[in-house]
Amino acid sequence: MGLIDANLVPAVDGVAFGLLLFVAAAGLTLAFGTGDVLNLAHGTLYTVGGYSAAALCDGTWRGLLLALVAGTAAAAVGGALLAALTAPLRRRGHLAQALLTFGLALIGGDLLSSAAGGGDLPVAFPAALNGSVLLAGHRFPVHRLALIAVAAALAGAGQLVLTRTRAGALVRATVDDPQMVSCLGTDPRRVHAGVLVAGGALAGLAGVLGAPVIGPGPGSADTVLLLSLVVVVLGGLGSVGGALVAAVAVGEVQTLGVVLAPGLAPYLLFAAMAGALVLRSRTPGRRA
Amino acid sequence: MTSARGARTRRTSTRRVRATGLLLLVTALGASGCSSGSPSAAAGSGSVRIGLLASLSGTYKEVGTDLRDGFQLYLDSHQGKLGGHPVDLVVADEGDGAPTALPAATKLVKQDKILAMTGIVGAGSVAAVSPLLTENRIPLVSSNGRPVVKDVSRQWSTSFMSDDPGAAIAQYVHDTVQGPVFAIGPDYQGGWDELRGFTDAFTKAGGQLANPGGKTLFTPFPQTNDFTPYLTQIKNSHAKAVYCFYAGGAAVDFVKQYAQSDVAGIPLYAAGFLTEGGVLNAQGDAAKGIQSVLNYAPDLDNATNRSFVSAWQAKHSGPPTTYAMASYDAAAVLDQAIAAAGKNLTPETLNTAIGGLGQIDSPRGTWEFGKNTHSPVQKWYLRQVKSDGRALSNLTVQDLATLGN
Repeated sequence: MGLIDANLVPAVDGVAFGLLLFVAAAGLTLAFGTGDVLNLAHGTLYTVGGYSAAALCDGTWRGLLLALVAGTAAAAVGGALLAALTAPLRRRGHLAQALLTFGLALIGGDLLSSAAGGGDLPVAFPAALNGSVLLAGHRFPVHRLALIAVAAALAGAGQLVLTRTRAGALVRATVDDPQMVSCLGTDPRRVHAGVLVAGGALAGLAGVLGAPVIGPGPGSADTVLLLSLVVVVLGGLGSVGGALVAAVAVGEVQTLGVVLAPGLAPYLLFAAMAGALVLRSRTPGRRA
Repeated sequence: MTSARGARTRRTSTRRVRATGLLLLVTALGASGCSSGSPSAAAGSGSVRIGLLASLSGTYKEVGTDLRDGFQLYLDSHQGKLGGHPVDLVVADEGDGAPTALPAATKLVKQDKILAMTGIVGAGSVAAVSPLLTENRIPLVSSNGRPVVKDVSRQWSTSFMSDDPGAAIAQYVHDTVQGPVFAIGPDYQGGWDELRGFTDAFTKAGGQLANPGGKTLFTPFPQTNDFTPYLTQIKNSHAKAVYCFYAGGAAVDFVKQYAQSDVAGIPLYAAGFLTEGGVLNAQGDAAKGIQSVLNYAPDLDNATNRSFVSAWQAKHSGPPTTYAMASYDAAAVLDQAIAAAGKNLTPETLNTAIGGLGQIDSPRGTWEFGKNTHSPVQKWYLRQVKSDGRALSNLTVQDLATLGN
C-alpha cells in the first residue's frame, strides 16, 4: 500500500504520457498497416500541432480551441501531402519511401524551427489547466488529468470508428488483405491516403494537447518519432489495440520506471522493444 | 500566333532573369555568410575580427542571445571599437553543446581567422573547443560556461567557475535549512560541475544530502521535459530543501512542474540561472519565492550597473541578465587588452595583455582574473524571486561568499 501511495503520482503521469503517445502513434501504426509505409515524418506532424499551440494559445480557452482546430487541420494537410508524395514511390519498396519521408521530416523540421526561432517555445494554456489539485493526499497537475480524460475519449472514439463504421471496416480490411479489398471495388491506395490524413490529424491534435509534456522545439519531432516507433514495434505493426497497451507501457517505463529503477531506466524501453521483437519472431505473424 | 510566341519567349526570358537573380542572391548570401573580406585578423583599416560563439538555437537559445546582445551593447556604447580598432564581430551558433559547437568554432578559426574568441554557453562546449584554440594559439575570453581545464594559459572567463555558485551558497543553505537537502541537476558536464560545487561544500560544512546513497540525482539532458518521476523521488526522500541547477527550457519545465507537485511546499534553492532572464517570464508565479545564488542582480547599487541597466533597457524589454553582463565584461576585457597590446596586435600579444589587466570595473562590482583559474575573483549574492512592483524579479537579499583564486 505504501509503495502504491508513494508512486501514485508518477503512475498517473505515466498513464497520461502513454495515452498521449497512443494518440500520436495510432496514425503511424495504421499507416504502416494499410500502406506498408513507415512514415518517418510522423514526429514532424506532431510538432506542427505543437507550433500551432505556441502560436495561438494565449492563456484563454478560445485560444486553446483555435489551436486545436488549426493544429489538427494543418497536420492533416501535412498527412495529405505525404500521401501525395509517397504515392508515386509505391512500387519502389520500403527504403525509397522511408527515405522520402525522412527527407521531408528534416526539411519540415528545419522550416518549422527556423520560422519559430530555433528555441523551445513556451505554450500558454488556460490558467485552470496550469494549476494543481489535491487528490488522495497528493498534488496532481490538472493538465495531466485533463489529458487522460481527453486522450481516453479519443481512443474510445477511434475504436468505435474502427469497429463499428464502414470506413473503419475498410481500414481493417486493407490492413488484413489489400488485394481482397481491391477485388471488392475499393482502391486500397485511397484507404491508405485517408489513413495518412486521419493519422496526421491525430498527431497534430496530440501535438496541441501534449504541448506542456513534449513541447514544440527543435528536438521534439525526433523524441515523438522515436517513442512512436517503439510503441508501434511493441504493439505489433498495424495493431491499434496493441499500440494502446504498448503506449501506456512506454509511458509507465518513462515515469514509474525512472522512480523504481533509476539506473536501468535509460535501457528499459529498448530492452522491452528488443524482447518483444525476439518473442514475436517465434510466434507466427499475426495482425489485427 | 507570333504574338503568342513572343509572349512565351518574354515569359521564358523573365523566368530566366528571375532564376539568375535568385542564383546571384543565393551566392551573395552564401558568400557574406561564410566570411566577409580578407582572411587576415587585422583586416582593412586596422579593424579586428572577434568570433562570438553562442547558442542561438536549442535549449539555451535565450542565454546565447543574451551573450550576443551583451557584447553588442558594449560595442554600440563604444562606437563599435575595442582598444581603438573597429570591430568585425563574427557570430556562430553553438547549438545544444559540443557536437554543434566544435564545427562552428572550427569555421571561426580556420575560415574567419579570428583574433580572439568569446561567448560559449556550455561548459562542455568550452571543453570541446579548447584544444582547437590552444593549437591555433587563439585566446578565449568566455562569458558563460567554464569547465575545469588543466591548461588555462589561453583561457579567460568573465563568468565564474561552474562549481562556484553551489560553493557560494552551500554554507547559507546548511545554516538555514537544518536538515537533509536533495541535490538534482542535468546530466552533462555543466550539471556535474555545478552540483559538485554545492555537494562538496555542503557536506564539508557538515550538511547531509537527502539523496539515496548520498549521490546527486542527474536527469537526462536535454531530453527531460517531464520531471514528475524525479519530483516523486524528492518527495520520497523526505528532504527539508532542494538545491538544483537548471537553465533554459529545462528550468521552465522544472519550476512549473515543481509548483504543481507534491514537493511544492519544500523550499527550493538554486544556482541563479534557474530564474534568470526570459525563463522567469515563462515560469510566472510558479517561480515566486525561489532563492538563488548568482554573481549579479539587476538591482545592485553601483554607478557602472546603473548605466549598464539603463543602456540595456533602452534596447530590450526586461532587466539585463548575468549572461548579458558577463558578455559585456568580456568586451570590456578585450577593449582594455587590445589597447594595452599596442601596435603589434596578434593573438599572442593580446593573450599576454589580458594577463596584465588589473581590476575590471563591472556592473557586478569590481573583479579581477584569478591567477590560477583565470576566472573572476568576485562576490556572490543571494537573491529571491519577488515582485518588484511591476514584474517578477530576482531581488538581492544579502551578500554571500567572495570566491576565486
